[in-house]
Amino acid sequence: MPKRKLDPLPSAAFQILLSLADQDLHGYGIMRHVAEQTDGRMRLGPGTLYSSIQSLLEESLIKEVDSPEDSGDQRRRCYRLTSAGLKLARSEAERLAGLLRVARAKKILRGDYV
Amino acid sequence: MSEKIYALLLRLYPSGFRKAYGGEAMQLVRDRLRNETGLVRRLRLWLDLLADFAMSLPREYRYAQPMLASSSSQRRLDGVPSFHVLEDEPIGVGTLLAAVLSFLVVLGTLSIMLKHAGDHRRSSGAVMQGAPARTRWAPSPGSAGQLDGKGSHATAAVSQPSAQPAVAPSGAVASPGFVLDSAERQRVIDAAVANLKNHFFDPDGAGKIAKALLAHEKDGDYDAITDGQVFAKLLTRQMRDVGQNVDLTMEYSRAPLPDHPQAQTPEDLARYRSFLQQNQCFFKKAEILPHGVGYLKLDGFADPAVCRSTAMAAMASLNGAKAVIFDLRDNRGGDGAMGSLIAAYLFDHPQYWYSPRSAPTPQSWTQSPVPGNRLADKPVYLLTSASTWSAGEQFSYDLKMMKRATIVGETTGGGAHAGVFHRIDDHFGMGIPEVKVVNPYAKNDWEGTGVAPDVEVKAADALTAAQKLAEGKLRRSQPN
Repeated sequence: MPKRKLDPLPSAAFQILLSLADQDLHGYGIMRHVAEQTDGRMRLGPGTLYSSIQSLLEESLIKEVDSPEDSGDQRRRCYRLTSAGLKLARSEAERLAGLLRVARAKKILRGDYV
Repeated sequence: MSEKIYALLLRLYPSGFRKAYGGEAMQLVRDRLRNETGLVRRLRLWLDLLADFAMSLPREYRYAQPMLASSSSQRRLDGVPSFHVLEDEPIGVGTLLAAVLSFLVVLGTLSIMLKHAGDHRRSSGAVMQGAPARTRWAPSPGSAGQLDGKGSHATAAVSQPSAQPAVAPSGAVASPGFVLDSAERQRVIDAAVANLKNHFFDPDGAGKIAKALLAHEKDGDYDAITDGQVFAKLLTRQMRDVGQNVDLTMEYSRAPLPDHPQAQTPEDLARYRSFLQQNQCFFKKAEILPHGVGYLKLDGFADPAVCRSTAMAAMASLNGAKAVIFDLRDNRGGDGAMGSLIAAYLFDHPQYWYSPRSAPTPQSWTQSPVPGNRLADKPVYLLTSASTWSAGEQFSYDLKMMKRATIVGETTGGGAHAGVFHRIDDHFGMGIPEVKVVNPYAKNDWEGTGVAPDVEVKAADALTAAQKLAEGKLRRSQPN
């Protein structure tokens, strides 16, 4: 099976990694957090969301974990960031920070970004 | 109705994808339908779904079809003839017709909704309105994620374990993914007892704490606790009460704790160095404010091995100042050696730089006087907030105790991290002070209590308050 492309890391996949950085979430939770962390600009639909989740799982960047028994969410699968996922998210963040610095150096951006 | 339409759309996805995620995709749509009511929101929901459908469907087929070819050829390599049932046959005519129909229904519904949209005022509430605030990792005394000062800044944005249960969008407690059962409680207690006996500098104290914890366990005091955070806090309190040491901590982390937090590869170090250099070693601003008051905003204490020259340049740029304000309001700690390096500029002779983590060594004295430095007798103000943390608190604590600085702002976070961290399992670890360090100023350090300001003002007002104090002091000291 051909690998789904994660290089360069698609924006949706990066946002999913970020949303899982500090907690495990199920699909809808990820969608809510991504919308929140992008100020509503990115609302992941089910197709894009689960397609990205599948790619991330294949690359072991996230893993499935059980839902807690007591939340009534047994049917739902939750996802957790792996150390490889954390590493990738970090390097992507650093790459973006590098771009921002260039943008600032070129005087496209003003103020104290980064 | 909407649900049925989406179920039809979902049938167009490859069967592998449907089987794996169809149920969850439907659930997600159900959740959105439940939470996103009203014409505008519903309209946006459908636009989202259609756009998502148009983008993700071709991609799924691109990846799904070759999967069959590759899986068959893989089997053939074994040399054993076999038959395969091809699940992912091309889209059938019936399915295509269903798709066309459902598209027409959706488009028809949309156009009807659009016609009537003018009757409704667009509500200002965005789709996310009403969603509970996202829980974030909040500083807690001695949190495991902060114990390793080196590199903690580099990973702060993405790696801090969430110490609080997440809140589900529906308002229910969501999926911590970890359940504290009796076996896990037993494991934590046993490991705590063993670690205390092996590592705590006070063997008698270790014995007493172990006895107390086992007694609580026997009495069933832990049986009802299923929340890791509650369990860790209770154990911390009991260990501190019996052991009479504020640096004993039990930590709970929802995210799995790394197996070998101390192991750093050369790549990690290279990344850490480049991160520090890109961030000016956390020296965010150094400038001379009106009336000759120097201002240094320092958001972390970086490793002097990488950042010594940056620190020296920053301090040199303030050399002409008549007073200095150190802004530690966003300082999340780091390497205490950097604090000592900076403090050297504030004295004309070596001063003992107390650290609750280590017994005195020759490096525990500041390298004062610094040649050419003129700040040793200038008034010093430190700005603090409730987020000022760890090494940032050490800097505040030591200068406050030596009466070398006036602290302006809020009581700091209260993380001394004097204990050495011992990982117990994926979710628990404990901090144990392994050497006895005498605090020259008081019985306890700032663990759990923070460093109280001399002048208490809100963090946001601290700079203005400190500027006034500095200017007042300079005015009074000027000879008339």
